[in-house]
Amino acid sequence: MERKKIIEFRNITKSFDKQITLKGVNLDIYENEFVTLLGPSGCGKTTLLRILGGFLKADEGSVIFDGQEISDKPPYERELNTVFQKYALFPHLSVYENIAFGLKIKKLSKDVIDQKVMKMLKLISMEGFENKNITLLSGGQQQRVAIARALVNEPKVLLLDEPLAALDLKLRKEMQYELKRIQQEVGITFIFVTHDQEEALTMSDKIVVMNKGEIQQIGTPEEIYNEPANTYVANFIGESNILPGIMLDDYKVRFDDKVFECVDYGFKENEPVDVVIRPEDIDIVPVEQGKMTGEVLSVLFKGVHYEIIVETVPGTKVTVNMNVIRSLEETSADGTEKINANNFYVDVEDVGALDEKEIIARSNAMAWDTETDEYISIANIECEVLPEIGQYPVKFSTPKGTTVERIISVVNQPFVKNEKAGEGIMAFNFVKSVDEILESQTLDTDIKTWANAQGWKLSDENQSVDISVDYDFDPEKIKEGKVYKITFWTTGREFKIHTTDFTEVGKEVGLNFFPEDIHVMSRKAY
Amino acid sequence: MKKFSNLAIPYIAWAAMMLIFPMLLIAMYSFTEQGNSIVSFSFTLDHYKKFFTDPDFLIVLWRSLWIALKTTLICLLLGYPLAYFIAKSEEKVQNTLVLMVTIPMWINMLVRTYAWIGLLSPDGLFSMILGFWGLGEVDILYTEASVLIGMIYNFLPFMILQINTSLCKMDNSLLEASADLGGNQVQTFVRVILPLSVPGIINGITLVFLPAVSSFFIPKLLGGGQYFLIGNLIENQFITVGEWNFGSAISMIMAIIMMLLMMAVRNVELKNEGGKGKKVTNEEG
Repeated sequence: MERKKIIEFRNITKSFDKQITLKGVNLDIYENEFVTLLGPSGCGKTTLLRILGGFLKADEGSVIFDGQEISDKPPYERELNTVFQKYALFPHLSVYENIAFGLKIKKLSKDVIDQKVMKMLKLISMEGFENKNITLLSGGQQQRVAIARALVNEPKVLLLDEPLAALDLKLRKEMQYELKRIQQEVGITFIFVTHDQEEALTMSDKIVVMNKGEIQQIGTPEEIYNEPANTYVANFIGESNILPGIMLDDYKVRFDDKVFECVDYGFKENEPVDVVIRPEDIDIVPVEQGKMTGEVLSVLFKGVHYEIIVETVPGTKVTVNMNVIRSLEETSADGTEKINANNFYVDVEDVGALDEKEIIARSNAMAWDTETDEYISIANIECEVLPEIGQYPVKFSTPKGTTVERIISVVNQPFVKNEKAGEGIMAFNFVKSVDEILESQTLDTDIKTWANAQGWKLSDENQSVDISVDYDFDPEKIKEGKVYKITFWTTGREFKIHTTDFTEVGKEVGLNFFPEDIHVMSRKAY
Repeated sequence: MKKFSNLAIPYIAWAAMMLIFPMLLIAMYSFTEQGNSIVSFSFTLDHYKKFFTDPDFLIVLWRSLWIALKTTLICLLLGYPLAYFIAKSEEKVQNTLVLMVTIPMWINMLVRTYAWIGLLSPDGLFSMILGFWGLGEVDILYTEASVLIGMIYNFLPFMILQINTSLCKMDNSLLEASADLGGNQVQTFVRVILPLSVPGIINGITLVFLPAVSSFFIPKLLGGGQYFLIGNLIENQFITVGEWNFGSAISMIMAIIMMLLMMAVRNVELKNEGGKGKKVTNEEG
C-alpha cells in the first residue's frame, strides 16, 4: 500500500539566543503512523513539535502539511491538535465543556456537539464524568480528557508533548497501551515526543532519534534497537557494549584482535567501524567454548537478570619510585641569585632526542633572583651524554656564572608489554623535593611528566594510549628522604552481560555470541 | 497542634478588643437614645426610623451608591485594558509599568486630592488647555464630575493591580491550548482569558466599590460642600451636629448594605465557576 506523506519538514533550523536548537531537520511523516521523536532534553524534539503546532516559528525551512506550506499559518488555522505536557485543561470549564471547546468555536449545533463529546467520553472510557470539575480529576483522567479534547476536532495529526511524564510508573504503562489503542481506533497520525526510550519502543511504528538538534536515525523500533546507526543511538536505546573494530571484508569484522563472522556488509575494505553487542546477546560459557575469555569483575542483581562485567583484556600497569629529597639549590657568591636542578633518568634509546630544552624540562632546572624572586634564564648547559648506560654529569649556569652540577643516569628502562591489549607502557623513577610537589597545581599531570610516563600501541609506536596515575600518599604530608610508589595504568576492555545465570566474581569465563548479534556501525557521523 | 493554637489566644483577644469591641459599641450606640453617659442607655429604633423616613437622607444614600457604582464601572473599563497591556508586555517593562501604577500611592491620598483642586479649578491646568484649543473654559470643580474624577484617580490602581495579578498568574499553555483548538485572539480572550480573570475583577470591584461608597474627603474637597455623600453625612453627625447615635445608625445601615452587596458579588463568582467548587490541588493516581 502506497502511503501518503502528511507532514514534511524541509531543512528546519531554529536557534534561541544564538544557541542552535535545530540544525536543518528533514523529516517525512506518513498517514496513520505512530511516530515518536526521541531524545534527551534539549535535543530539539519539543522545539520541532512546537514549530509544527505553530507556537514557534522556524528561522529557516518550511513545514508542509498535506501538500500545503503552513509555516506562516497561526496555530488556530492548522488542522492538527496538541496534547500539552501538563494537559493545559481549562480550569473554569467542566469535563464536557473542555472537550466541547473546539467544537463550540467551530459553532457546530448543540446536538452535534453533544453526540461527538459523548463518543469521545466513550473512547477514553470516561462516560458519566461529563459534569465533573476538571481540577478534581486524577492525573490519568486529566490526561484522557486532554486527549479527548484534541481528538474531538478530528485532526489529521495529533501532537503529544511528553504527555505521560507527569504520571507515575504504573499509570504510565497503562496509558501507553491506552494511547496505542486510541491511535489504532481513530486511525490518524500521532506524533509523540518523549525522552523515555522504553516508551518509544513500546508504542511507536517509527522512531526518530534526535540529539543536539539533529536526527540521528529514523526507523522502526526493531531497526533502531538491532541496527543502531551510530554509537549515540546504540548508547541511548538500551545498553550496549561498543568497541572499535575493523571491517576486513563483507561479513568479516575484527575487534579485540580476533576476527569474527558477522551479518554486515557493504563497508570498504579495512574500514574502521564501531561494533555493538547488546548485553543480553552475550552468553557466559565455559572458557573452552567461548569466542572470548575473561575474568568476571562484578556481578549485580537487577531483578530479572544479573548484570555481569567481564574483563576480556586486562589493563597494563607499571610502578615507579618517587625519591623525595631536600632541595639543594646553589647560591651565587654575592648572594643575589640561586639555581637548582634535579638528577634524572633517561632511556638509552632516547639519548639522541635529549636536547637542551628537554634537559631543562626533565631536570626542572631553574634559576631566580633572591631579592625579586624573578626567574633568570639558564644560559649555559654543559654535558656530554653518550648513548651508553652510565652516569653523566651536567652543569647548568646563569649568565652571571652561578652554576649547579647534577647527574643524568642513562639506563636501559624495561617497558611493560601487554600483548593481549596490544599496548606497552613505560615510566622512570624520579627525584623531587617537597617544595616542588607542593607547588604543583596539577599533580597527576606533573607526575606523568616527571616520570616521563608514556603508553603506546604495539602495532604503531606513534599512537599513544591513555594512562592514569595512582598513588596512595597524601601530597600534603610527604617527607624528605622517603621513597613513594607511583603506579601508571591503562584500563582493560570490559563487556557488560545480562544473564539470568549467576557467576562468581573472579572466575575465568568464556563469552559466546552469534554472528547476527554483532552490529557493525560506520564510524562517520550519520 | 493544640499547644500551637493556644498561642493564638492573645492575638484573638487583641483583635477582639480592637475590631469587634468598637463595632459593638457602634451597634449599641445606634440602638440607644442620645444621652451623656453610656451606662444609662435605653433601647430605641428612632434613629433608623429617622433615616428611612426622611427623603433627604435616602437621596444621599442613593447618590453615594450610584457614584460608587459609576466609579467602579469606569475603573473596570479603564483598568482591564491597562492591566492586560501590562500583563502582555515583557517582564522588565512589566515591572516598570506596575511601579508607575503604584508610585502615586506613595504620596498621601489627601495631598493628591488637593492637587486635583488646582488642576480642575477655573484657572487651573485643564481649563487652560481646553481654553487654548478654543473649547472654552469648563468649570467642573465642585460638581459631580470632579468628585467622580477624584474617585477614579484614587481607586484605579487597586483595580489595575488586582486584574494584572490574575492575568499574570494565568498559565500561558492555556492560551496555547485555546489557539490549538481553533480559537483566534478574540475567541481566546472571551472564552479563556476573561473567565479566568473573574476572581481578579471581583477583587478589584470590591477594593474600588467599598472605599468609594463610604469616602468622605474626596466629595468634601472636590465637591466643595455642595456635593454631599453618605460619608459626609456620617462625619457631620459625629463632628458638627454631635448626634453620635444617629451617626452610628447610618454607619450600621451602610455596613449592612455593603455586606449584602458583597455577598451578591461572591454569588456571581461562584455561579461563574459553574458551582464546581473551589480549586483543589490535583491528585495523582
